[in-house]
Amino acid sequence: MTKHQAPLGKALLRRNRVLAPLAFASAAACLGGCEASPEAPGGGNVRRGERLLAQYHCGSCHAIPGVASARGQVAVTLESFGRRSYIAGRVPNTPQHLAHWIVAPTSLVPQTTMPSMGVSAADAKDMAAYLGNLR
Amino acid sequence: MTGSAAHAAQAAQSVLQPATATADSIFEIGVVLTIGAALIFLGVMTLLALSLRRRPPSRRPSRASERLWIVGGGVVFPVLVLSALMVYASVRTSGLTTRADLADGLVIAVTARLWWWEVRYRDPASGKDVVLANEMRIPVGRPLTLALDSADVIHSFWVPELAGKIDMVPGRLHHLHLEARQPGVHRGQCAEYCGEQHARMALHVVALAPEEFDAWLAAQAAPAAAPPDDLAQRGREAFLHERCNACHTIRGVSEESDLGPDLTHVGSRLFIGAGTLPTHRGTLGGWIADTQGIKPGARMPSFDRLDGQTLNALATYLDHLK
Amino acid sequence: MSAEREMREPPTSLPRPPEELDQLEKAWALPKGLGVLSSVNNTSIGLFYIGTSLLFFLGAGVLALIMRIQLAVPDNTLVGPQAYNQMFTMHGTVMMFLFAIPVVEAIAVYLLPNMLGARDLPFPRLSAYAFWAYAIGGIAFFTTIFFGASPDGGWFMYPPLSSAEHSPGIGADFWLLGIGFIEISAIAGAIELIVGILLTRAPGMTLGRMPIYAWSMLVVAVMIVFAFPAVIAGTALLELERAFDWPFFIAARGGDPILWQHLFWFFGHPEVYIIFLPAAGMVSMMIPALAGVPLVGYRAVVIALVTVATFSFALWAHHMFTAGLGSLSLSLVSAASLAVAVPTGVQVFAWLATLWRGRLRITGASLFLLGFLFIFVLGGLTGVMVAVLPFDWQVHDSYFVVAHLHYVLIGGMVFPMFAALYFWSPLINGHPLSERLARWIFALMFGGFNLAFFPMHISGLLGMPRRVYTYDAHLGWNTLNLLSSVGAFILAAGILLFTIDAIRTWRRRTVPTGNPWNAPTLEWLPNGEYGTRSIPQVDSGDPLWTNPGMPEEVEAGRHWLPGTTSGRRETLVTTPGKAVASHVLLLPGDSWLPVISAAGTAGFFLLLTVKWLVTAWLCGVTAVIAAIIWLWSSDPKPHAAKVAVTDNDRLPVGAVGVRSHSWWAMVVLIVVDASICASFAFAHVHVSMLSEVCPPAGARLPAAGLALLAAGLYLASSLPVEAARRRRTLSGSARECRLLTGAVVIALLVMIAATVALISGHVEAGLSPGANAWSATIAALAGYQVLHVVLMAVMGCYLIARIWTRRLGPRSRATLDNTGLMWHYTALQGAAMIVLVQVLPALMNLVAA
Repeated sequence: MTKHQAPLGKALLRRNRVLAPLAFASAAACLGGCEASPEAPGGGNVRRGERLLAQYHCGSCHAIPGVASARGQVAVTLESFGRRSYIAGRVPNTPQHLAHWIVAPTSLVPQTTMPSMGVSAADAKDMAAYLGNLR
Repeated sequence: MTGSAAHAAQAAQSVLQPATATADSIFEIGVVLTIGAALIFLGVMTLLALSLRRRPPSRRPSRASERLWIVGGGVVFPVLVLSALMVYASVRTSGLTTRADLADGLVIAVTARLWWWEVRYRDPASGKDVVLANEMRIPVGRPLTLALDSADVIHSFWVPELAGKIDMVPGRLHHLHLEARQPGVHRGQCAEYCGEQHARMALHVVALAPEEFDAWLAAQAAPAAAPPDDLAQRGREAFLHERCNACHTIRGVSEESDLGPDLTHVGSRLFIGAGTLPTHRGTLGGWIADTQGIKPGARMPSFDRLDGQTLNALATYLDHLK
Repeated sequence: MSAEREMREPPTSLPRPPEELDQLEKAWALPKGLGVLSSVNNTSIGLFYIGTSLLFFLGAGVLALIMRIQLAVPDNTLVGPQAYNQMFTMHGTVMMFLFAIPVVEAIAVYLLPNMLGARDLPFPRLSAYAFWAYAIGGIAFFTTIFFGASPDGGWFMYPPLSSAEHSPGIGADFWLLGIGFIEISAIAGAIELIVGILLTRAPGMTLGRMPIYAWSMLVVAVMIVFAFPAVIAGTALLELERAFDWPFFIAARGGDPILWQHLFWFFGHPEVYIIFLPAAGMVSMMIPALAGVPLVGYRAVVIALVTVATFSFALWAHHMFTAGLGSLSLSLVSAASLAVAVPTGVQVFAWLATLWRGRLRITGASLFLLGFLFIFVLGGLTGVMVAVLPFDWQVHDSYFVVAHLHYVLIGGMVFPMFAALYFWSPLINGHPLSERLARWIFALMFGGFNLAFFPMHISGLLGMPRRVYTYDAHLGWNTLNLLSSVGAFILAAGILLFTIDAIRTWRRRTVPTGNPWNAPTLEWLPNGEYGTRSIPQVDSGDPLWTNPGMPEEVEAGRHWLPGTTSGRRETLVTTPGKAVASHVLLLPGDSWLPVISAAGTAGFFLLLTVKWLVTAWLCGVTAVIAAIIWLWSSDPKPHAAKVAVTDNDRLPVGAVGVRSHSWWAMVVLIVVDASICASFAFAHVHVSMLSEVCPPAGARLPAAGLALLAAGLYLASSLPVEAARRRRTLSGSARECRLLTGAVVIALLVMIAATVALISGHVEAGLSPGANAWSATIAALAGYQVLHVVLMAVMGCYLIARIWTRRLGPRSRATLDNTGLMWHYTALQGAAMIVLVQVLPALMNLVAA
């Protein structure tokens, strides 16, 4: 084992020496949360929107891909929502309309069963951004 | 309730401070185990230390005595000790798992949610459910059963001063029997990792004298108190206007939704946010305005859009719901 | 070991022909430069493997340090809950799956062949493949922490938290993936170890003379064979649930979260012994060597190892004491968990007796051995405590258990590992690690460890639960946590110092190893790339003590197989019990194919996870093609019927049937396979027992006739294959090729027909896997069978190719024999699963009635 190990040992340790400090440095750098938060075309922060959809319990009625605890069967699934042309079959699916819909659904479609959940305008913008991103 | 509030500040979660017969038994078992383990550890370490001494070849042990040590120390001794332990533990445990006669026992249903506890009593007067959250009050000296389940992921119910823990598994109903021995406040925490805010899913159990308990339950069964002044009245309106009732029920005001904790008597509880902050006007305001800052990931948005007056009114109203 | 033992003359006489050594060196030469990565020599792979595992150890350790900073004070805000939860999940997963198991396998890969007197493991390319799959997959998995894409469900990933509903992100899928690599590596390792330990020992190394470390690795390998399949099945089911919504663990549709726990812990508990027993085996080697006396109680220790391994399969439910299982099961498991302390105690007392009999030299290695005894015994005693049910009901999922598990794992494996690094470091390049620094390192590690983890017993008893990113200031946990955090950094300082010394030492120029500790076992013989110059004849359990002239004899070529008879790499196969020399085994040389195949495998699974489907399948196809090319050169026609391996012994080259090493590998693989199928079957039985009515409403069993037909066809497909397998002549004539091919084709068609019957039976019954767990488990079983049929088609075509290229011969028929084995297994599996599914509901109704 010993006579011919030197080149092997060196190769091995070279890897150790390069990878280990790299790993530590990257860990330190990235643990501050180095994720970029993407902005959607209509403004609105997609990442924040995902969190808000969970906080407002949208998932209790809707199945929403990528949102935790969002497997509701009561209302329509929001899968690929970004590709839909209409909200609730009536309202054109633009970021502004979607945000408005989220804040006050009955103001756009009076007979809808979706309640107003007390979403603020700012929060609605982010939530609309996330939903618009679902392709 | 102020006495309890004072206790709440020191409410501990310690296995070493048992407050029921069950917890006592476990504590005693724990003491026996600790002392036994410590003695055996010291014994083995002593043998180890002695084995490192240098001794002349003539004083080395014979084959037979070596075999004796291995069989004696490695087989006979553990078998004896462990068998005794098994018997002792079974005897001490048998009382814990047999069910007390529950024909007229109190049953409290607890459903674990992400990341809070929904607690249900049955009102003896009307037979209706009394729903609260994150806090349980129990009568001293009366055996009771907790019916535990989960609405989402696996949680675990653990109030160390009262009993061992039991998991709360969706699709299953587990029972835990308790009987408090004296009044006091005890803290518990979810003990099965359940996601982002597992660390802030605490609950409090307040043991009361039986008459106090009955009075408390009757008060909890009643609908929400009417707002005593203008500020509180404005708070009540804000509760509806800001659509807090889209997730929270206040009996007598709005029973639209049970997505979030029932707030009918939130002011009477020791803590809000599942044990995160003690309840009073200030913390209520802080919680509403910055939920995500206090408990990031909680399933309630921060209502940072409210102006100071509305927030103040809302917090005042909720604090008055005792 | 009496003085009267006759000293036998070594079997080969001098002088050796001058070119013999050159030929040997040439056959085993290490590739130059970057080509070293294509080396399949166990020494190379072993070092790569150990190095990679240690890298993961450091990485997961850094995660722990960050966690400890966060927990040093209450209500800390250094790290938020999302990041923290990913960190503790990664810390546990990486430590358990990417460090602990790999490092014990890696040390075995490096050390065992030399310790057994073999030149290499029996399947060098398989080891290489297993290593590279683990390295590439593991590193890819670890990097998820830098992107916030790590799993965050805990290292044990309980559903429903880990289901698609509550963990919709990609992290959980990466976890399932990461585990997949180590599953492959571990199974491959188990095959190597079992075959290597049973078949490639030095002549005369009977089972009773085998080093204890070899016994512990044999036991561990068998444990892997039975334990890993449960987690393989479990992770497969979880991934099917996440990807296709087959509700195995979803209560609302007849599934059960507890099912996961059963499958996971049936693996998880033996796993900790899979981690500990190799370390115990190493301790059983080091203590005798450093104390200067043979191990006291060798037989007792062997029995203890086997007993621990056996018991460990009965204990899994002690991780589920609070999950609501029945009280009878709980009591039995508690009793068994207490009982497992007995064989462990036997080992401890054997070590104490050995120390007592001998005189321990205090060196770096022995310091860590003493540290091991202290920490592990303490951990074992807290283990006895938590085996007592009511006590566990309080401390389960609290920091008391965190303390216990770190005491037994760090005490029971990490400290012996450091001892091993100190002890066997001279094998790497002849240089021992610094003894002076060792004392400092040990003091820092021992002191730091106890300061870090002992207070956790107390904080657990004061009510601190596990897996919390922060805690309240008024619960009395503050000082304890601060102490733990300080201790963690002291421990880390010791490890850092060790890392520096290790890098410094192992970079030095190679010098001869010698036998610095005067140890008795064969790995201390003079070594080259080829292992020892000649394979030693062994006459005792401590060969270097009873035959002090052995190093010179072996180096001069005076023992078995002093060169290479074919110009290729070779080793000796001996009988499993008495180690009588049986035949010469030809070993494959270095190759890039295992690396390519491993990269393809890793790429396939990784890219599937991120849904780059086309590239994923390309990688998969590459992996399969590379594997087939590599396989093609195996099972060659022997270069001679018999060769001389000593003065008087002539041995056959290669073997067929039951004496063949690949036959045994196939058998082990089939046992793994059957265990995976059994786990799927367990899942089916478990969810069936949960339903009120079986089949559940809306589901139907396939028609009995169709099911019977399918089962019968599966069994029938074995007949032509068995007929082919029984041919002894294998002359290679055109008629024979046609006959054999015909047999294979007919068998394949029958098997396909069986599969069609199976699937159409289910389709016609309206099987809808997403509807309920019962249907999903049936679909999983059927899917597993279909996978096997596809495998049989591939193997069948490969066999036909071997037949027509005249590579099948009477002494090179492993392809035929092994395909036959797997074929029969597939047929049996198909019939068995069909019968189970059809008969179970009736059986349950009978029992209920």
